[in-house]
Amino acid sequence: MSFGYSKISKCSVFRLILSFSLVFAWWEPNAARGVERPNVVATTTVVADLVHQIAGNRVEIDCLMGPGIDPHSFKATPRDADRLARADIVFASGLHLEGKLSVLLDRLARRTQVVQVTDSLPKEKLIRVTKSLYDPHVWFDPILWSECTKKVVVSLGRIDPSGSTQFADMGADYCQRLETLDQQIREKLSTIDPTHKVIVTSHDAFRYFGRAYGIEVVGIQGTSTESETGLHDINRLVDLVVTRRIPAVFVETSVADRNMTALREGAQSRGHVVRLGGRLYSDALGAPGTGAETLEGALRANVDVIVSGLTGEN
Amino acid sequence: MNLSNMAFEGLFAYNTLVVMIGTAAVGFAAGMVGSLGVLRKRALVSDAAAHVTLAGVATVFALTGKRDLPVLLAGALCAAIVGVAVLVFLKRFTRTRDDAVTAIVLSVGFGAGIAIVAGMTARGVPGSAGLEHFLLGHTAALTSGDAALLAIVSVVSVSVVAMLFKEVSLIAFDQSFAAATGWPVAFLDYLLVVLVAVMVVVGLPAAGAVLVTALVVIPPVAARQWTDRLVVMLMVAGLIGMVSAVGGVALSAIVPRLATGPVIVLFAAVIFFVSCLVAPKRGLLARVARSLRSQGIADEHG
Amino acid sequence: MTASAAPPLIEFHDVTAAYGRRPVLWNVDLTISEPCLFGVVGPNGAGKSTLLKAALGLVPLVGGNVRLFGEPLRNVRKRVGYVPQRETVDWDFPVSVMDVVLMGTYSQVGWFRWPGRRERQLAKDCLERVGLADLARRQIGRLSGGQQQRVFLARALAQQADIYLLDEPMAGVDARSQEQILHVLSELRNAGKLVIVVHHDLRTVREWFDAVALIDRRLVAAGATHETLSRENVQRTYSGVVDILDEVGHAVERRSRTS
Repeated sequence: MSFGYSKISKCSVFRLILSFSLVFAWWEPNAARGVERPNVVATTTVVADLVHQIAGNRVEIDCLMGPGIDPHSFKATPRDADRLARADIVFASGLHLEGKLSVLLDRLARRTQVVQVTDSLPKEKLIRVTKSLYDPHVWFDPILWSECTKKVVVSLGRIDPSGSTQFADMGADYCQRLETLDQQIREKLSTIDPTHKVIVTSHDAFRYFGRAYGIEVVGIQGTSTESETGLHDINRLVDLVVTRRIPAVFVETSVADRNMTALREGAQSRGHVVRLGGRLYSDALGAPGTGAETLEGALRANVDVIVSGLTGEN
Repeated sequence: MNLSNMAFEGLFAYNTLVVMIGTAAVGFAAGMVGSLGVLRKRALVSDAAAHVTLAGVATVFALTGKRDLPVLLAGALCAAIVGVAVLVFLKRFTRTRDDAVTAIVLSVGFGAGIAIVAGMTARGVPGSAGLEHFLLGHTAALTSGDAALLAIVSVVSVSVVAMLFKEVSLIAFDQSFAAATGWPVAFLDYLLVVLVAVMVVVGLPAAGAVLVTALVVIPPVAARQWTDRLVVMLMVAGLIGMVSAVGGVALSAIVPRLATGPVIVLFAAVIFFVSCLVAPKRGLLARVARSLRSQGIADEHG
Repeated sequence: MTASAAPPLIEFHDVTAAYGRRPVLWNVDLTISEPCLFGVVGPNGAGKSTLLKAALGLVPLVGGNVRLFGEPLRNVRKRVGYVPQRETVDWDFPVSVMDVVLMGTYSQVGWFRWPGRRERQLAKDCLERVGLADLARRQIGRLSGGQQQRVFLARALAQQADIYLLDEPMAGVDARSQEQILHVLSELRNAGKLVIVVHHDLRTVREWFDAVALIDRRLVAAGATHETLSRENVQRTYSGVVDILDEVGHAVERRSRTS
């Protein structure tokens, strides 16, 4: 008798709880969400930062590659492809930076809005690598990068028309900040001895930087991290470092630095000690909390590392 | 490839010498150890071992977060040894064919490695993207520490082969007789493949996975064309491996934009083709000459 | 059966062997107490090779055991010589005739060491006995079938054993080589060794062998050749097929004797 009673009692309590949960499950998200924000997916941290500076909290930004991820060799998983497909708009860096995503992005462009932020830049302002290939690391020239804001503002305006004015304002604001940053960089870099104005890094990510600020930039691996280095190139770099007596070389946060170690050993064998100047942010920004999670922060950090590396004692 | 930029003085640069020493050591040892593998008809064990290392490298990186070479090599070594042990085990206990077990071990190991790397990249673990590049090798960037490690392992491998030469050659030639006369065939079998695995793992930074397989296979096959004696075959294979390494390194020091690892393998391939053509007795030209001669004799007497 | 002072040379106690689930030998009981030239005959797949391999520990036994000189194999390995089938080896292997014969001395030499002058002399003598002394340096791939078998025999001789187990040593061999091999085997028997040979040709067995065992996955019969190799036993073993060929062989022989 008592057995039957407790059984019924348990059953009805269970049903009650279940129905309450269902109500809450349906209720809750609507209550918290309010107005739905557009879902934006950016490929690299640099692009995500650009979008964030312009859109602020008006959009939900999801970044595909985290800090420390090399976009040249990043391969999308099915879940990544899913995230891209569900986005309202996708921002990519362009110029084949995301080398292994190009097929995916092309296919995606037929269904979703895919914006390559560097598309609007006139080809004469870009650095050419081969007949048809351009260097994609545009963000290291802040002034040139600021020209991409217009495309982002327009694209965001298309999916969120009510925010158009806000996007335009924030865009203009950002361009102003980038101009100030450019000035500050020039000042800091002027403290380096002109003969030492050489940045030796793992790959050719800093050509725009070099062009904008008159610094010679030498990458061991070429424009993409996917290629294997030849001995000739390493010897040539050792020569360069030794004859110009360059005090420091730099590694990157997202690229392995085995080439650097060999380079430094080669220089040492000829009596010239080359320090490891520090890590530069190249294809990816820093992790949150490092101060380098925005482009401005990363550029400032890079310049500090470069200046201290190239002006320090031997 | 800009030929006007050729730099012959690069031949004597410090880095060139370091890379030459490291790769020559690997080339020599790989040639010797590989000879026994090839004669055992287990040439592709090296391929399986090389691909399985990715699983080891990925696991070690996932556990420690470090990309230092010794750490990654330790992971690669463990994975390679486990992989070849599984290969031999499968062959002995399930009577599956050599090529099938090699394919199984290779694909499962490599697939597992790719899955781990992709998982880490997706989760945003820094430095995880491009771990597969470990398999591609950075021959030109060998440091003196790397070269020393390569030299030591090569010397040890060659010593093991020299010490156990009659035992391993007996196993390679006639397993039934070896077992019947009381030699521990299983132990020596595992030892031989573990030796191959060690060579492969150590050769990985020097030449990369696919290329190290080439170094373990091409010099022995080329050497076979020149001699019918086992000891001579091993020495010639070691020599060819060494010459390929030195030649490839020299070429990539002189000509710009030539990736060093692949050039070494191309050198070995050229030596192989030349051997097939020119070797006395077994070479193609020699055989053609012989048949023409016997044809001539037949015509005379016909 | 009187208790003899020395244990039998070889004893198969209730030997059962299987490859996976497929049994190849059932309950074989066989004892050989005296040195002799002993043949093992039977149809294909009857387990003849398996019988030898069981004695050598090369196949796992599901049941029973084998004793040599009254001991398990591991105590007396050095006293057992082996000639495996020719197909077990890749004849393109870069070794010479001399190299192969030297392999017979490896157990005596032990780990890490190299065969020395004594072993080389022994190898040369063994090559003489099988008539291959002038081919010592030749690579084994460039030998005829008969010569290859004789190399294997020389290798077994170099083991300087007391029991010799030979698996089809005369398969695919010309008549002259066969006779040479049989002469060597007879010499071994005369020197007091037990020679067990898996063989396919019943006529040779009748002519040369002292005793024989008929195997068809189980032991059909064993004993002195003239008694055991009766028509009835042969028929039971081969299920009649070889009987006809045997008859033809006899007829040819009779014809050649009368003509």
